[in-house]
Amino acid sequence: MAQRAVWLISHEPGTPLGGTVRFSRRYPTVEKRAKVFNGTSYVPIPEDGPFLKSLLFELRLLDEDRDFMESRDSCSRINKTSVYGLKVGGEELWPVVAFLKNGIVYACVPLVEQTLSPRPALISISAISQGFELLFGIQDFLYSSQKIDTELNTKLSQLPDLLLQACPFGTLLDANLQNSLDSISFASVTHPQKQPAWKAGTYKGKPQVSISITEKVKSMQYDKQDIADTWQVVGTVTCKCDLEGIMPNVTISLSLPTNGSPLQDILVHPCVTSLDSAILTSSSIDAMDDSAFSGPYKFPFTPPLESFNLCYYTSQVPVPPILGFYQMKEEEVQLKITVNLKLHESVKNNFEFCEAHIPFYNRGPITHVEYKVSFGQLEVFREKSLLIWIIGQKFPKSMEISLSGTVTFGAKSHEKQPFDHICIGGTAYLKLHFRILDYTLTGCYADQHSVQVFASGKPKINTHRKLISSDYYIWNSKAPAPVTYGSLLLLDLSFLQTPLPQLKKKQLHFKGIPIQKLNRD
Amino acid sequence: MGLLSREAWAQRLGAFRASPSAYMAAPEGEDLGRDLLSDLRSEKLSEQTKVSMLALSLEYPAQLWPDAPAAEAAATSLLDTLVLLPPRPSALRRPLLLAATTALVTGGVLGPTSGASLRLLPLLLGLASGGDLGRGFGPSSEQRPLQATACECLRELESCKPGLLGGSLGLLRGLLGQEGPVAPVQPLSLLLALALRNTLVIQARARASLQGLLTVRASPPGGGPWNWTLAQEGEAHLQPQAPSWPAAEEECGLSALEPSPEEARELRAAVAQLLDTSYLLTPVAQAQLLWLLGWALRGLRGQPPVLFKPQLVRLLGTAQLTLLHAVLALKAAFGEALFTAQDEALLLRRLTLAAQHPALPLPAHLFYLHCLLSFPENCPLGPVGEEAAPLLLEPQLCRGLLPNLLHDPMALLARLHLLCLLCAEDEQKEEKGQAQSPCHYLQELLAGLQQRAALTGGPRALATLCFQASYLVAHCLAGHHTVLAPLTHGLAQLYRARPALAPHFVDLLDRVAPELGEPLRVVLRQEVVSRPGGDEALRWHLQMLAKVADRDAQSATLGFLQAAAAHCTDWGLQQALLRVCRALLRAGGGGGLADLLQALARQLEDPDGRDHARLYYVLLSHLSGPKLGVALGPSLAAPALTSSLVAENQGFATALMVQEAPAPIRLSVGPRRAEGPVPVLQLQVEVLEPVYSLELRFRVEGQLYAPLGAVHVPCLCPGRPARPLLLPLQPRRPAPAQLDIRALYTKSTGLTCYTHLPPLPVKFADLFLPFPKAPEGARLGFFEELWDSCLPKGTESRLWCPLGPQGLEALVSRHLEPFVVVARPPTSYHIAIRLPPDSKLLLRLEAAQADGVPVVLRTDDWAVLPLVGDYLRGLSAAV
Repeated sequence: MAQRAVWLISHEPGTPLGGTVRFSRRYPTVEKRAKVFNGTSYVPIPEDGPFLKSLLFELRLLDEDRDFMESRDSCSRINKTSVYGLKVGGEELWPVVAFLKNGIVYACVPLVEQTLSPRPALISISAISQGFELLFGIQDFLYSSQKIDTELNTKLSQLPDLLLQACPFGTLLDANLQNSLDSISFASVTHPQKQPAWKAGTYKGKPQVSISITEKVKSMQYDKQDIADTWQVVGTVTCKCDLEGIMPNVTISLSLPTNGSPLQDILVHPCVTSLDSAILTSSSIDAMDDSAFSGPYKFPFTPPLESFNLCYYTSQVPVPPILGFYQMKEEEVQLKITVNLKLHESVKNNFEFCEAHIPFYNRGPITHVEYKVSFGQLEVFREKSLLIWIIGQKFPKSMEISLSGTVTFGAKSHEKQPFDHICIGGTAYLKLHFRILDYTLTGCYADQHSVQVFASGKPKINTHRKLISSDYYIWNSKAPAPVTYGSLLLLDLSFLQTPLPQLKKKQLHFKGIPIQKLNRD
Repeated sequence: MGLLSREAWAQRLGAFRASPSAYMAAPEGEDLGRDLLSDLRSEKLSEQTKVSMLALSLEYPAQLWPDAPAAEAAATSLLDTLVLLPPRPSALRRPLLLAATTALVTGGVLGPTSGASLRLLPLLLGLASGGDLGRGFGPSSEQRPLQATACECLRELESCKPGLLGGSLGLLRGLLGQEGPVAPVQPLSLLLALALRNTLVIQARARASLQGLLTVRASPPGGGPWNWTLAQEGEAHLQPQAPSWPAAEEECGLSALEPSPEEARELRAAVAQLLDTSYLLTPVAQAQLLWLLGWALRGLRGQPPVLFKPQLVRLLGTAQLTLLHAVLALKAAFGEALFTAQDEALLLRRLTLAAQHPALPLPAHLFYLHCLLSFPENCPLGPVGEEAAPLLLEPQLCRGLLPNLLHDPMALLARLHLLCLLCAEDEQKEEKGQAQSPCHYLQELLAGLQQRAALTGGPRALATLCFQASYLVAHCLAGHHTVLAPLTHGLAQLYRARPALAPHFVDLLDRVAPELGEPLRVVLRQEVVSRPGGDEALRWHLQMLAKVADRDAQSATLGFLQAAAAHCTDWGLQQALLRVCRALLRAGGGGGLADLLQALARQLEDPDGRDHARLYYVLLSHLSGPKLGVALGPSLAAPALTSSLVAENQGFATALMVQEAPAPIRLSVGPRRAEGPVPVLQLQVEVLEPVYSLELRFRVEGQLYAPLGAVHVPCLCPGRPARPLLLPLQPRRPAPAQLDIRALYTKSTGLTCYTHLPPLPVKFADLFLPFPKAPEGARLGFFEELWDSCLPKGTESRLWCPLGPQGLEALVSRHLEPFVVVARPPTSYHIAIRLPPDSKLLLRLEAAQADGVPVVLRTDDWAVLPLVGDYLRGLSAAV
């Protein structure tokens, strides 16, 4: 269950080495076990230099991909997980868990407690998930607050001490490094009661509980007969419980209004002590029906000191908040575009901001735009080949707005204009960016009165809600667009031949909106 | 080296970390370990500097103290430093404990003979149990973190030496159960779980009982000596035979352990105690605990896994990678005993959900997807170890797990694999032609990938992804024509759009030869040869053609090459063109190719190209098909240069020249034949490797014999009995000789080889031939006539021929039987021998005595007398 070594490497494209090892830590006692367990298949951990080179090559992060190289580009070299085999000094070091996030490559080598030939399945290696958790933990620590470079350096310099706490011998004790940092300062307290390892100390002060629900809505809209639009809400409930006592018990209930959309795919924080089976089984995989569990969703838990994500959920709301179409046609030297957006009447018409970004890929800079908007204003970023339609805080009374115009482009120069491998030819999208405060699309809310706290003192309870767009795409309906399997299935007419009860479910799924209406043609 | 300043140490540590091996190889590396230990006690250095020094020793103890005595001394020194710390709070106590532990383990000195071990172990156990260690060992504020650290150190020692804490199980249980101000739960729980697991495994292997280990509370820190028995038995345990996946652990199962009812109860209590407080552990530690306890209880009689059940619902609800992974481990360990079919279905649903949940990061998605395809089913149907969709994973469940073009390459490939598995099932089940079947979707996806790869100037990664997907599909859906046919077609279109991907196509052809090779080769060839020769992508076309050209449709290929030849103006293109010719030669080129090669030999600008064309032409017109194939096959010699020419020429050299090789056969002289008009040597053959068209050439030094004819054998194979080879000799004088033998043959690889075999002797006796048999009554007269005819030209001699224990009769029958003319056994024989070319040798052996027989001999050739003497004297020895 232990790690043999761990590295953080900053990816620096364009530099001779392609990156720098910012942090590394080896575990010689684990290495000693690896030698025995792996036997003849044992490959030692290389020094940082060779490891860096080999890892960046394997992750295709070196700049030299001009020519075909069999050791990297061969079709049979397929990686389906973030676990790699690295060529080091003629041998292959495996398994190496590695991924790139925010310009940093996180990597570790989990101990495999058996021979490596034949290679055991990843699922059978306990240290693999521990390795992932360690890397996720480091990532959370580095990016928990700000992304300022100096702060990153400070945090990197804290890592050796932190890992001495959280992973002294290569076996991870706590993936929450912030907790380890706190435990250094809380160390002197003696506890009369059993103290959870995930809680470094106790809170002293005014009791209060903050609950914030953030929903992100994503959508893919095509405006086509044979492809269904899709949309999904992903919710995150974040809590911060400042309560006295070692193990205060809290129960938070999430409620839905009568016409709210049931929460599905609920994942909870490990501090949640018990779960209703209805919560465990409500899943987006199943077709929904009226009997779907619609709350209240009760989460009893013992909170850690820090802010944490109590649960995540998804939901299928009946309609997307903004329905639109985007038509783009190439007419001789210019593009003719038409955009229409309609805010659904049930959605709170009070945005913090709302913008539609219309990028043009694989073309030259914009040289000329002629347009007409029914509402808001258009900004033109010529060099970036981008139009931004600023809609503002409110849709007009009609709830419907439109943009039409023509765009002309200059000669393509590869360095400046964006390249995209999806938006080829007429394939194009516009992306909506918006945020609505004090609102959730599902209607989900945490009632102050439904929060039960078993601790001394009556806590103050704060609740927040917001809706944010995320990956909200409206594809050009006049050209092919990338489609998900779900989009094809939803409109598969073969379901009309299915027996009646199932058919009913599917119809309910659209909550009475005829399919034709969803597809505006 | 004297005391170093803080800066000097920082610099030194930095230099070491930059490249430990280089630093240690340099002179300054020598003293690093020693300086580090001594400066840890320096009062001038800050604690922070000392902590970073200790951090180095935690990572590189083997470099600092490379051998066991050094490690032992280092551990002792670190312990001394620890004891000497003033009794105020210090950041050094934890790292010192960790460093001493690390030094002992990595130096391999942990054991009953190591003084440092005997000091460290009681110290750690004392700290872990929260005992009073006397004044000087840190302030009370540090007690709790030190207690945790001591547990961690003990856990590491137990990991590296299983059984070390077998004797302390009772003590650890007691500590965990303590009320009031208590030891930290997590380190103790993990330590206890590990020690418990190890003890159970060791005792099961030794077929011993638990011997009350779970209840005895006596502890070594009380002053008693440390109990090393279990650890010594455990030595064998840290072998690579304890795979992490419990299901694979059959052979070291715990079923051998038969705990008494009381022991079983205690064991259950211990496990329940650990599980009950597991919510106090961090998620990663909970997962470790579950793995350990799963291991510990698997296969153990009387220990139903229901103890785990209360934990499962809680665990299934979380998004923690380690926790779900641990649940899967329990699933694999206990199967139906812990998970009913419904539980299994629920677990699968949670896994499916986790594999696509938008709140989880991509690496977690991919790992869950792997778990899904390696899911430990209650009733697995497919072969073990292969990724497959579990039975309960209905296509409906997988809908959200299918790939689309917006996915990251790795996610796309992982999901594509799942899609392929579904397609394979789908084709078995449903009728074709459904517009939205998985197969149809797969085709659309592949078309999208091909379209992206076709993008001129697009990154290579996109092309690679397309070919990886093609490879995956070809492998998973081999034989599924409905998928492979459009794939082949799509790839041909991709080539048409972007010939620069030729290296990818060549690679793909190499990898999918059995599944897709032939149809893909045909369409690609058509794609290339239908082009005009002067395409700007000529380089790629030629590379492609060198891979796909073969016997079929050769005229179109030749037509293309002829057109292309005019555009092959530089050396590289000419070489590429010749590579295609070479491929055609190998495939068996016809007359058209000969014409082309002749034309190239005249037409190409580059003399090297012309030479090559000429060479190919010569080869084509002079070598038979198979030989040509071998000659042009991959070079057997490792090329010393990467130049294709050198490699190629080396290939020719090996293929067309006769190579010297180690002997493929062994020859020996068989029994004498003594018949016929001339002496014939019978050669026995021992075959070491298959040889074909073997020609053996013999030569005799001097002019003793007439030149010997070669012996030909069509084929010899090891293991098949080989007939003896007959070599007629034509001596010019009756004299022994030495045969020099060379073999020329073809190997099974088609190479012609030659070898010099060890020489064989032709002995004097090998030349003996009998006279024609006279009629029964006339034999004596015949002999006397021969006897008389020797003189006066020849000579007579008398010899004493010693006899061995068998006597005269045995000697004659053994060596001289064919030549006996008159026999009066056991004492008298008349013997006549013909010595080619035209000599004779007559022997009278009469009045044999016990130890020898007097021999009177006559010959008409003086020169043979010494040979006869040697021969006769040697006979008795040869018996």
